[in-house]
Amino acid sequence: MSQATLRVQKISGHSGTVPGRDTQREYTVCKLVDTTTCIGCKACEVACVEWNDMPFSPTAFDNTYQTMPETRWNYWNLILFNEHEREDGSLQWLMRKHQCMHCAEPGCLEACPADGAIVQYTNGIVDFQQANCIGCGYCITGCPFNIPKFNSVTKRMYKCSLCTDRVSEGLEPACIKSCPTGCLHFGSKDDMKELAEIRAKQLRDHYGYDKAGVYDPPGVGGTGVIYVLHDATQPELYGGLPSNPSIPLAVKFWKHPLKWIGNLAMVGGLIGLFVHYLKFGPKAREESDIASKEGQ
Amino acid sequence: MNPRGMVGYHPEQLIPHDHILRYSFKERLNHWIAAGSFIYLMLTGLAFWSPWLFWIAAVLGGPELSRFLHPWIGLIFFVSVCYMFTLWANQMNFEPVDKEWWNSIGYYIRNQDEKMPPAGRYNAGQKLLFWSFFVGGILLLASGLVLWFTESIPWSLRWIRYISVVVHAGTALLMIGSFMIHVYMGVFAERGAFGSVIRGDVSLAFAKRYHPKWYKEIVGESDRSK
Amino acid sequence: MTNGWVDIKNADMILVMGGNPAENHPCGFKWVIEAKRNRNAKLVVVDPRFTRTASVSDYFVQIRTGTDIAFLGGMIRYAIENGRYNKDYLINFTNAGFIVDKDFKIPEDEDGVFSGFDEQKLSYNRASWNYEGTGGKAPAAAKPGQPAPLPPLPERVNFDSTLQNPRSVFQLLRRHYSRYTPEMVERITGIPKDKYLKACDIFTSIRKDGDTKKVATMIYALGWTQHSFGTQNIRTAAMIQLLLGNVGRAGGGVNALRGHSNIQGATDMAGIFDNLPGYLRVPVPADGSFQGWMNRITPTQSKPGDWTSFNYWGNTPKFAVSLMKTLYGDAATKQNDWAYDYLPKVDRNYSWVNIWDNMYNGIVKGMFAFGMNGVMIGPNTNKNIDALKKADWLVVGEIYPDETSEFWRSPGITQDEMKSIQTTVYRLPCAGFAEKDGTFTNSARWLQWKNTALPIPPGCRSDQGIVAQIFLKTRELYQKEGGKFPDPILKLTWSYTNPNDPSLAEVLKEVNGKTLVDAEDPATKQQLKAGQQVPGFAWLKDDGTTTSGNWIYCGSYTEAGNLTMRRDSADPSGLGVHPNWGWSWPANRRVLYNRASCNGDGKPWDPARRQVWWNEATQKWVGVDVPDFKVDSKPSEHMGPFIMNPEGVGRIFAPLGAFADGPFPTFYEPVESPVDNLLYPKQSHNPVVRRYKTPEDKYGSPKDGYTVICTTYRLTEHYHYWTKNNPMNVQLVPEPFVEISEEMASEMGLRGGERVKVSSARGQYIAKAMVTKRIKAMNIDGKKTYQIGIPIHWGYRGISEDDGRTAKTPVNLLTPTVIDPNAYTPEFKGFLVKVEKA
Repeated sequence: MSQATLRVQKISGHSGTVPGRDTQREYTVCKLVDTTTCIGCKACEVACVEWNDMPFSPTAFDNTYQTMPETRWNYWNLILFNEHEREDGSLQWLMRKHQCMHCAEPGCLEACPADGAIVQYTNGIVDFQQANCIGCGYCITGCPFNIPKFNSVTKRMYKCSLCTDRVSEGLEPACIKSCPTGCLHFGSKDDMKELAEIRAKQLRDHYGYDKAGVYDPPGVGGTGVIYVLHDATQPELYGGLPSNPSIPLAVKFWKHPLKWIGNLAMVGGLIGLFVHYLKFGPKAREESDIASKEGQ
Repeated sequence: MNPRGMVGYHPEQLIPHDHILRYSFKERLNHWIAAGSFIYLMLTGLAFWSPWLFWIAAVLGGPELSRFLHPWIGLIFFVSVCYMFTLWANQMNFEPVDKEWWNSIGYYIRNQDEKMPPAGRYNAGQKLLFWSFFVGGILLLASGLVLWFTESIPWSLRWIRYISVVVHAGTALLMIGSFMIHVYMGVFAERGAFGSVIRGDVSLAFAKRYHPKWYKEIVGESDRSK
Repeated sequence: MTNGWVDIKNADMILVMGGNPAENHPCGFKWVIEAKRNRNAKLVVVDPRFTRTASVSDYFVQIRTGTDIAFLGGMIRYAIENGRYNKDYLINFTNAGFIVDKDFKIPEDEDGVFSGFDEQKLSYNRASWNYEGTGGKAPAAAKPGQPAPLPPLPERVNFDSTLQNPRSVFQLLRRHYSRYTPEMVERITGIPKDKYLKACDIFTSIRKDGDTKKVATMIYALGWTQHSFGTQNIRTAAMIQLLLGNVGRAGGGVNALRGHSNIQGATDMAGIFDNLPGYLRVPVPADGSFQGWMNRITPTQSKPGDWTSFNYWGNTPKFAVSLMKTLYGDAATKQNDWAYDYLPKVDRNYSWVNIWDNMYNGIVKGMFAFGMNGVMIGPNTNKNIDALKKADWLVVGEIYPDETSEFWRSPGITQDEMKSIQTTVYRLPCAGFAEKDGTFTNSARWLQWKNTALPIPPGCRSDQGIVAQIFLKTRELYQKEGGKFPDPILKLTWSYTNPNDPSLAEVLKEVNGKTLVDAEDPATKQQLKAGQQVPGFAWLKDDGTTTSGNWIYCGSYTEAGNLTMRRDSADPSGLGVHPNWGWSWPANRRVLYNRASCNGDGKPWDPARRQVWWNEATQKWVGVDVPDFKVDSKPSEHMGPFIMNPEGVGRIFAPLGAFADGPFPTFYEPVESPVDNLLYPKQSHNPVVRRYKTPEDKYGSPKDGYTVICTTYRLTEHYHYWTKNNPMNVQLVPEPFVEISEEMASEMGLRGGERVKVSSARGQYIAKAMVTKRIKAMNIDGKKTYQIGIPIHWGYRGISEDDGRTAKTPVNLLTPTVIDPNAYTPEFKGFLVKVEKA
């Protein structure tokens, strides 16, 4: 898809303005994952693999129901299983659908040096454009959620695309369609946020989960995937969901202050040296010095 | 005679028309390997550094190729810098005279070289450059390896990646700064210096002016006579 | 199910026990989530493991496998003690007030068995398990050498509406479960008393303070059925639901989650030896004639004098004659007793485990196995493999080489042994589910037609095509060569347009049935011409003028067309009835016994969820669902809602021949158990369960070192034994494992991923250990007891197996040949093993 359209609002590694910036009329889309009704059936994992025609890769027994430890270049969507024992001895088996969060302020896009390798559409979807990807892996460092993964054969990075190909045609993402319990919902961010808050309130009022809430981290400007959690004060219980994610400080420092300092230093340096040459010229030719001194 | 007892040291020869052979063939070749690889690294690195310079990668064979070759060329650069270390490291130790040299840096900038304390084969500035490139090379290699094999760093140790992106970019900037000064000095400011890494020789006058102590050693005058 | 999948969303309270629907019925489980999301419904889960269903429950209790009757019996006691039941419903819609025969004794008085137990024969004389009353049809005369026939149910039953009579069903019930105290339940099940009481409190809270509006459902699966007392597990659940008044109500009922997409269809169409299609009981030799058969299997009314009972099974002869006319057409006439002689008479038990036992003993010579991996299903896989070695021939119809078709090279068989096996194995490549049309009948009794999605690959054939070929060839041979009794084959109707590969649409039409003469419905005045499809089973007659291959499916393919193909998702009532989506039996009713959703006056217990009700103006029962009732029977007639019972009411007490092991469920230990029966020390196990007697039928006990309890189950990611051939499923869960508690693992010095060997008295299973918090050690009567769990899905052929990543041991090498005495289901869910590092 051409990036010179109104539908692209951010482009990685891009010099100059982005044609679609601040032109948004449509709403941003949002995937709501209600972890309190997820039964870990993995229909969403299978739907993602099927829709995107991903080749199978070897998996091994790892003392868990979780299919594999992390997402892969060919496995973008993974249910994380975590067993926790409460103080009263009762058990919690938390299941969280783990995939790209489609941050409003994406760390991957921020870190990416390749022009057009990562774009953000005005509907909020953050999409890797493999044609422009150079496989440097900076997006791995930029992402607070450990999502982008590398394919060593094609040398490209891959992640969940929020089924942008389906969404562009007015369809819901494949995972949403396949979820049997209706734990996944899809719609505008406002609608999903509202639905999530209603569910969180129901959990607090009727199910004894007094800390239930919605996970929509402000540190990345909010995300295109939001969670309803039984305990919104402890997101780490859900397979290491960071409680206050943001673009890593190192990346922010590198792309902003250091960028300014470095560019100024380099340009300043060049200018400085040129001015030095203008003012002081080269060092004196040594032969005449010697000749005059030694009297040769 | 081999006054310094260094391995691989070629005793400087006085050669016709009042020149001294300053750099052997191996030294010069290695220098250009380092220089060439550095220039490639710097250009591709700048392409990755700034979207405004990303076109550089396109000119150098494409962004994907640039990303692929950058770490390999980086290894070449590092190996050549290590060779430089074996050649010159023990000539680069900071001595008391270097402190004086730094204090007189103002004269050096104003091209009043006669007011500088006598430098040996390498003056303090050159020594600083050497160590900058060596230490910088190590930092770039270490951080570069982390960036090259980013996926090998587990999520639990991601702080290593964060440090690496800053160290790699920051060190590269310092190296570019050093490079700019080095090229300026070698091509524009110190006439005759450029030839030393092409043909290998400098004139006696050059040696006397810029490295008086070294000059004296070459022509045999003792250190006591000034 | 008495109710349906979508109907679950109407529940206020859901008990999942003996089942794991989140994992094994994830799509159906959505309706439990809907109930939670939309009605604040609460979910209670009771299971030996903390499953994915438990992970979304509101209260979870871990139970020792096989002790469900102790749990549920204790809940009956709790409900009665705390007044948590619908008294009105209980008195009027169940047999709680019926007086029972004075000779009837409960196990409390009889050392753990009911009255009438014969220790020699290991069976009951059930004559005392009867109501007290008068009248009733005379029993058939006793035949020499045959067991004495049961006395009849009395036509007029003595009744006490106060429920105080000590011989009323209610007081007997109370006495029977009075010993199932919370302390006893704790000792048996391992559930701490406070947790147990909380579970009872939560579930029965729907009837707190006399509330009759709320409704609770129970959903279960093989965790209840796969025991040597499986049928009684379900009985206890049914009794609780009757006590609480939940049967017949939207969001209530007793709901079995079937384990395969069309197993409901299989049982409806009599894929079992002791039924004919539509659950007609098969004829036995003692019947002697069609009339004798009808006399035995057709019930007559039995109820208090002033009540009415529809006794719909009283229409059995209409269904039976219509079936015979379907099977034999003009060859079945009144004169020849409707071709009664052509039907096989079932002289003994030919159930699944018996088939393999018979094969092992040389009685069964050959087997057709269609999409049925008998060696893997077990129980006691080694016995099944050895049985096949003795068979003359085996025909396997499958879509890939499965373990049964490869039994002759199962692991451990040597080359020499292979050479000595004389069984001829035929492999017929069949069509897969996406290549076949026809109906699937789901747990909710909905028949849904499916079209083929893909063509059958060249060289493969449809199931009906294969069966047709076999039949036509057999018929041809009988025509040519004659035989001892060729008529049942020669006279069988086979009038399909393409006899070699009958269209299933034509078969469904045949199953629905038609009228052979012009007919008129007296009530509606609707007219049918000869040869037209009948609109429902009310049209079926016993005079030979109608046909129907399965009376409960009658109405699915009428003159209006194939109703199973309908896909109108409209649900005007919002109760999930969807009356025009597919077709549900019987008569497109979605909730059975729905008259019970109203009180005695015909007014719904909960008007917000009204399903059917009495319309005073039209003097009819009307509703958003088809009334499961005689529509013009006034409430004052006191007709019972449970129209399929001779009493017309629900059976708290199941009289006479209903069950082999008792009219009330009684707690017995699984046949392999680490403890004796604390409730009935003199009778640890189900008294009528027999053990098999071949050398391979070994049974383990704690003194042989088998002290760990083992259960088996399925995962979401795999489906029985065929997804191990599918890369997608294998990617999700590649290797077999054994779930072991953390305490047990630390005692053994075992880490997750290490191989373990699990052995029972019958075989060994080797796989990696999954060390988990989700199964805890249990305190069974003061003794620390461990349970482990094993998913079934791997064998000795498949992607991981062929890659050498597994030990190639099917889990049913471990399971015992022990079956439920009513439904003959094997006890896969609770047996003894020992666990060692491998």
